[in-house]
Amino acid sequence: MDFDLSEEQNLTRQAIRAFAERQIAPIARELDEKEKFSAELTHKMADLGLLGCFVPEKYGGSNMGYISYAIAVEELARVDASQAATIAAGNSLGIGPIYYFGNEKQKQEWLPRLCSGECLAAFGLTEPDAGSDAGSSRTTATLEGDYWTINGHKIFITNSACPLTGVIIVQAVTGKHEDGKPEISCLIVPSDTPGLTAKEMKDKMMWRASNTGELFFDDCIVPEANLLGKRGDGFHQMLATLDGGRLSIAAMGLGGSQAAFELALQYANSRIQFGRPIGSFQVNAFKLADMALEIELARNLLYKTCWLRENGRPITKEAAMAKLFCSEVMRRCVHHAVQLHGGYGLMKDYEVERLYRDQRILEIGEGTSEILRIVIARNIGVSGRAI
Amino acid sequence: MPVNMIVCCKQVPDPEAPPAVFKVVNNKMTLPPEVKPVIGQYEEFALEAALKIKDTAGGKITALSLGNNFVRDVIKKALAVGADELVLLEDKAFEDGDSWSTANALAAAIKKIGAYNIIFCGRQSSDWDAGQVGLGIAEILGIPAVTLARKVEVSDGKAKVERVIPDGYQVVEVTLPVLIIVTSGIGALRYATLKGIMAAAKKQPAVWKPADIGLEPSKLGAAGRRSKLDKLFQPVKESKCEIIGGDTAAEAGAKLAARLREAKLL
Repeated sequence: MDFDLSEEQNLTRQAIRAFAERQIAPIARELDEKEKFSAELTHKMADLGLLGCFVPEKYGGSNMGYISYAIAVEELARVDASQAATIAAGNSLGIGPIYYFGNEKQKQEWLPRLCSGECLAAFGLTEPDAGSDAGSSRTTATLEGDYWTINGHKIFITNSACPLTGVIIVQAVTGKHEDGKPEISCLIVPSDTPGLTAKEMKDKMMWRASNTGELFFDDCIVPEANLLGKRGDGFHQMLATLDGGRLSIAAMGLGGSQAAFELALQYANSRIQFGRPIGSFQVNAFKLADMALEIELARNLLYKTCWLRENGRPITKEAAMAKLFCSEVMRRCVHHAVQLHGGYGLMKDYEVERLYRDQRILEIGEGTSEILRIVIARNIGVSGRAI
Repeated sequence: MPVNMIVCCKQVPDPEAPPAVFKVVNNKMTLPPEVKPVIGQYEEFALEAALKIKDTAGGKITALSLGNNFVRDVIKKALAVGADELVLLEDKAFEDGDSWSTANALAAAIKKIGAYNIIFCGRQSSDWDAGQVGLGIAEILGIPAVTLARKVEVSDGKAKVERVIPDGYQVVEVTLPVLIIVTSGIGALRYATLKGIMAAAKKQPAVWKPADIGLEPSKLGAAGRRSKLDKLFQPVKESKCEIIGGDTAAEAGAKLAARLREAKLL
């Protein structure tokens, strides 16, 4: 067994940390306040190779493996969850499905543009009435002649309504199986396709500098060749995509936890009450000890899961565990961090305030904590599917 | 014309670490393990100068470092940002040298590397700040040196260098080969890209021992010092607080001015 990170993993952490601290940190608060997606920052991150981390170089990717990818997202999230979200969604949800399920022509067409940051891909899954029950999609795609006609409505889609959005991978019902269950497929829809309208969703509590869109498909027509993989494979593709996406969200929870811990430690050591640093009171020292303990466990679980993925092992259970644990560890860490900051922690002048808000989505997006517990339960021998 | 460049990079304790963690024990600086080494800031500027030339004119960059116990993840940053090769003079014998023994060893290594057009150094190291090694190398190799460079351009076998002076800058032209000492005006070192990191991880540095550069151990490191470190100490700083009062603000102000004059601060 070897717990040392490789040279490339350590160099990745150093490089992304330096970039995040110098280029993102100075403007993170302003972007959050103005609820502004930064195309400029996205391009800078793409120039570093942050889009296409797990894609081979022949398609323009950096081909660095999942542990390095998780470290990169962790370091971004340590400074700004919004930028981490842009990169995490761009990779796992945007680039991932095309790289893993696309044919050669689709990969050639889209991956170089997506990896260079020329444009972003989004994954259109959630609908107003299909959240955790993703199989109940109402968006339909009908094949007539050589073309698919898409009708429906998607909501909460990251990277789908910004100036850089280039393509949406849309999950739609394309027919019915013999047993009456809907046949679900994924289609590649360029964002300038007539019949597709994207509207930016505003006034979010968190990830305010990340772009979230609502998509309307109104007789939106794409060629038959835009089918991703095989017809009817959409549900399976979505589950596999979410397995990868959960690693990204877990990395964001880990990075956010680390940030909360560092800020809390620094504050607890410098804030004097009753004549001594508040960290020296056992009640507070124990909070910091718990944070450090849980971050250690979260990091080990996430990196192990990434290792499993790099080695081609199944990760459904571990990815659900890592996402669930890292997001809940961050909840406890930001709670402690704000508590230690007292009244100051409630003010926007203090970074823990933003961390506190940015944590909340991690227990909801890409599988709620409740759904993840079901995924874990189904993979540990609990009887019954419906749990 | 592709330019062959050598950049001298020093691994130093992170200068951003809080001063309180640096301790002096038996005339030696000691550091707690949490202070990680980094490539010195001025050497990063030197690397950036070389990379800018590689961007425009093309060429090859060899990063060269002297010391012992290099942290590979740290020193390989030079490769990750775009240097082509990394040579490490790594041995206990290289430790605790002065500017002369360091310059002597680096010059010997540069001779062994061979064909070069430009050698880049930072203006001073981020730990000892002596600022002598670059000029020492130029002297030993018998080549011209230009100090305090903030911009370097190469054409027709010559380098055009902007030198920082107190009221502005001067432009000098120098024939190659040349040693150029770089200052902060050149701009911060670029970030390593993930592709650069992947490529760097696959490269192994060449590790040279004293015998590889043909130098006697007596000329190296601590044994080769020509200047002796007499005493290394941390000055004790004292701070006192004195409250100057007064019935009115004007009176307090006048008393403060008198007190400052008495302390020879005004």
